[in-house]
Amino acid sequence: MYNRELRGPLIIGEKSYHQISTDILAPTETKPGKWWFAMMTIATLASIWGVYSIYVTVTKGIGTWGVNNTVGWGWAIINFVWWIGIGHAGTAFSIFLLILRQKWRTSINRAAEAMTVFAVGCAALFPALHMGRIWLFYFIFPYPNTRGPLWVNFNSPLFWDFIAISAYLLISFSFWYLGMLPDFATIRDRTTSKVRKALYGFFSMGWVGSSRQWLRFESLAFILGGIAAVLVVSVHSIVSTDFAVSVEPGWHTTLFPPYFVVGAIFSGFAMVMTLMIIIRKLYKLGDYVTDGHLDAIARILTFISLIMGTAYLTEVFMAWYSGSEYEIFTFFRNRITGEYALQFWGMIICNALIPQLFWFKKIRSSLLMMFIISLFINLGMWFERFNIVITSLSKDYLPSAWTTYTPTWVEVGTYVGTIGLFLAGVLMFFRYIPMIAVSEVKTVRDIGKRKYD
Amino acid sequence: MSSSHLIAVFDDETGLVKAVEEIRGKDLQIEEVFTPYPIHEVLHAMGNKSKIQIFAYFYGLFGAVAVLAFLYYTSVLDWPINYGGKPFNSFPSFIIITIILTIFIVTILSLATFSGRAKLWPGKQHKMYDKRATDDKFVIVVSKENTDPGELGTIQGILKANGAVEIREEEA
Repeated sequence: MYNRELRGPLIIGEKSYHQISTDILAPTETKPGKWWFAMMTIATLASIWGVYSIYVTVTKGIGTWGVNNTVGWGWAIINFVWWIGIGHAGTAFSIFLLILRQKWRTSINRAAEAMTVFAVGCAALFPALHMGRIWLFYFIFPYPNTRGPLWVNFNSPLFWDFIAISAYLLISFSFWYLGMLPDFATIRDRTTSKVRKALYGFFSMGWVGSSRQWLRFESLAFILGGIAAVLVVSVHSIVSTDFAVSVEPGWHTTLFPPYFVVGAIFSGFAMVMTLMIIIRKLYKLGDYVTDGHLDAIARILTFISLIMGTAYLTEVFMAWYSGSEYEIFTFFRNRITGEYALQFWGMIICNALIPQLFWFKKIRSSLLMMFIISLFINLGMWFERFNIVITSLSKDYLPSAWTTYTPTWVEVGTYVGTIGLFLAGVLMFFRYIPMIAVSEVKTVRDIGKRKYD
Repeated sequence: MSSSHLIAVFDDETGLVKAVEEIRGKDLQIEEVFTPYPIHEVLHAMGNKSKIQIFAYFYGLFGAVAVLAFLYYTSVLDWPINYGGKPFNSFPSFIIITIILTIFIVTILSLATFSGRAKLWPGKQHKMYDKRATDDKFVIVVSKENTDPGELGTIQGILKANGAVEIREEEA
């Protein structure tokens, strides 16, 4: 295929199939290095703070947060949208590229999907806590009840959100797990330890790699991929309707759904890049996660960054063009200037300007620069959500209700806690699950290597 | 499944594909082919077709109708609530839930179908003819009981000619 020659080999070096299994499964078979335990300790400490913050929230109530009547959505919603955004890359990555039959996804999709599952799990925590009485969480399920039966409001974006996130979590997990079946079987069949054999044997569900299994495996992968592609676009669109259907200045805009979806994929891809650089460096899997892979992600980020910049400009332009004094105030007096100018310009610089450095080949081939820029993007995406949630709420139509918002340690703790949980999840993933899809990498071993045949 | 088998092991995909295509071209039966990754030529030559896609289509149809019916029942028939004067049957805003829940239903039912058809579930007992088939070997298994001796000879010839590194028989 002519397009494969452009990208060069997907896997560097002449490797036998057995070598591929050995290379990729090595981290699951050996004791992790010191850095792993150090990171795990940090993750555990962060999680403990998070769990304690959640304990305080649940036992004392939302009053322990900094939110008030005017700014009813604080860090919890910012972080919810942030995590959901990060959670979009896995599915966007593996599924769009699966449907487009882009072979370079094979080295990256497993880690991206793992990240998705953990990030969506972290995200789901925030709205659940924000309900206040988390023990009555089940009220949101539309089930025949003794209160009428009184049904939930099916026209509410908050309910759509609940359904969308549940579906997204289920389908991302299924897709991720499906891909792991053959790899678990590989571990099962090569290990000498009885415990590992029993455990991975259980989770491999009796996979033997027969043609009948592969046939159905591929069919199911395409079905899940096809319908999850719809979800990738719809989940964050639905999250954006939480904002867009309200009448707050700065929120009530039709730009929101595409703007949110693109932003989500942007932050997710940045997180994929962060993770892939870690995998490459710390596990020495540079033959599988090649410069070509990272280069491809960097190019996508550059492109998405341009879309983000356009979206920011469009928002500001439309605020001015609308002539609505509230919109003009929100954008020009409360975002571009005013007490939240730092967050606004942070967002512009981190999301629209810094990623443009990827135009330079030197920067695209420096792991350190890519790592730093990928972190900046996620910082910028956090600023973006802060900007949306806080600036619009703090000063809307009624000046007598204007107020400011500062998070309390409980909110900060919950956020840090989710980062800890996410980190712990990723570390466990590195340790116990093949972080690159072994069976899929075997299919692309020879791509880009044979010349003219 | 019969209990007496001829097992041929290949080192690479090319020989295996040729062997499978030749054997199937002569209309002889292969019990199963085990490979470390999916090989489309083999899946094609084995002649099995997956119906999961067709099933999924009907799951989707069922899901969409069921969800819309549920929304209509709860919002219009069972307990209508006036939300700011909007119609009880606010069809456009029902579509979002319908799409998402349809996806949900298709996922769950397809997973169940896959589990049943591919015979995979947690803790299932399985039989590996050659353990290396999940790592780097490509294995063809032919049932001896369902194949008459003359045909078995032909098959063995084809396997050898295409570079099988190991051909052995297994009684179980």
